[in-house]
Amino acid sequence: MKRFDYIRPGNMADAIAALQANDEPYLLAGGTDLLIGMKTNAVKPKCLIDLKGIPGIDCIEYDNGFKLGALTTVRDVEVSPLIREKIPALSEAAATLGSIQIRNRATIGGNLCHGSPAADMAAILLAMNCELQMATGNGAKTMGLDQFFTGPNSTVLNRNEVLAQIIIPKEIGQFKGIYLKHGPRKAMDIGIVNIAILLDADVSSGFCNQIMIALGAVAPRPIRAKKAEALLNANRLTPELIQEAAEAASDEATPISDFRASAGYRKDLVKNLVAKGIDQILNSKDPS
Amino acid sequence: MESKHRIQITVNEEEHDLLVHPNRTLLDLLRYDLGLTGTKEGCDEGDCGACTVIVNGKVMTSCLVLAVEVDGAAITTIEGLHQGDELHPIQQAFVDSGAVQCGFCTPGMILTTKALLDEISDPSEDEIKHYLEGNLCRCTGYTKILDAVNNAVQLLK
Repeated sequence: MKRFDYIRPGNMADAIAALQANDEPYLLAGGTDLLIGMKTNAVKPKCLIDLKGIPGIDCIEYDNGFKLGALTTVRDVEVSPLIREKIPALSEAAATLGSIQIRNRATIGGNLCHGSPAADMAAILLAMNCELQMATGNGAKTMGLDQFFTGPNSTVLNRNEVLAQIIIPKEIGQFKGIYLKHGPRKAMDIGIVNIAILLDADVSSGFCNQIMIALGAVAPRPIRAKKAEALLNANRLTPELIQEAAEAASDEATPISDFRASAGYRKDLVKNLVAKGIDQILNSKDPS
Repeated sequence: MESKHRIQITVNEEEHDLLVHPNRTLLDLLRYDLGLTGTKEGCDEGDCGACTVIVNGKVMTSCLVLAVEVDGAAITTIEGLHQGDELHPIQQAFVDSGAVQCGFCTPGMILTTKALLDEISDPSEDEIKHYLEGNLCRCTGYTKILDAVNNAVQLLK
């Protein structure tokens, strides 16, 4: 690893000031993506600004909705009794990321800010309609996660902005959710396709009040399958309609072929996993 | 610019006051500055778990932790587990179960097992597998390692 300066600010204002005052600065959260990039010289920071010294940036607050500090570790998200009770799909998605050693280190905000289209936290939080609160040089600012990603490994964050909080709206508590991650290995790998579905449906009639479907690893950034959602919203979830929506979701995916999987295989997976996910939610006796 | 930082850490209950460059990983600090070579360097990118250590009660891959980040922390490496001349019960269980072949993954495997059993005293097979996902072994085929974890549960009762 090349040499760099290390700064550990004690508050957000100092972090933003350090961002603006230093050449080629990088924000350090858990470091599980950043340090790998630095070891291969894919990124060459001259200065690392470690956010872990900022008090309160790693807290889980619940007040009907959730507020998750950006530096909350993925492991804390996985094992939080409140998250397991209220929005278990988030806990289940967290449990699929890396290993316990990585989850003890990796943070929910770092996973988003790294900007990987395959990020496990991205798809599930996108399906949860979450909002991001940024600290900036000019006060706080809020935006939807759907506005955050701009392409592979890139986000809208400016040089004077730090992701501070992830806000999950209180309505999400009434949805049942599922996170399906498909890949050749069950652990220690990113998904070939990640699907997150949140569904508010009347189980006896199968009527869908609202559904959110997010797709990971099948486009330059994590996306919502809006056409599929529109087909299902305010409709009865018949097998035919679910199949039609699954095909629509597959059409919305624009994957690449790489060593993990071909684009065609990924599109087929989207179709199968969207149908499977909706089915599993509808048939779950112990809803998650 | 790029100056050394002073850190104070406790490793295996021994306090150290050190000057480190920011680009020094915890793994390299342990192996080269403190001579604790029980912590192994495998993949150097957080995949294999050979460099696992326990930092403030949590397992981490020390290749992905900078030494400057753990200022003030209490760290346990494989060298800190034995009690006097006795092996730690988890180490004894790995020996008794034949869960060691080349031995390269063993320190990380044992430390992850320790963190698991500190958290869940009598884990299910699924819980053991989920917890040990990040520790790769290329020799044993894992069966003996699962046996060792179960034997350790009995020894610790």
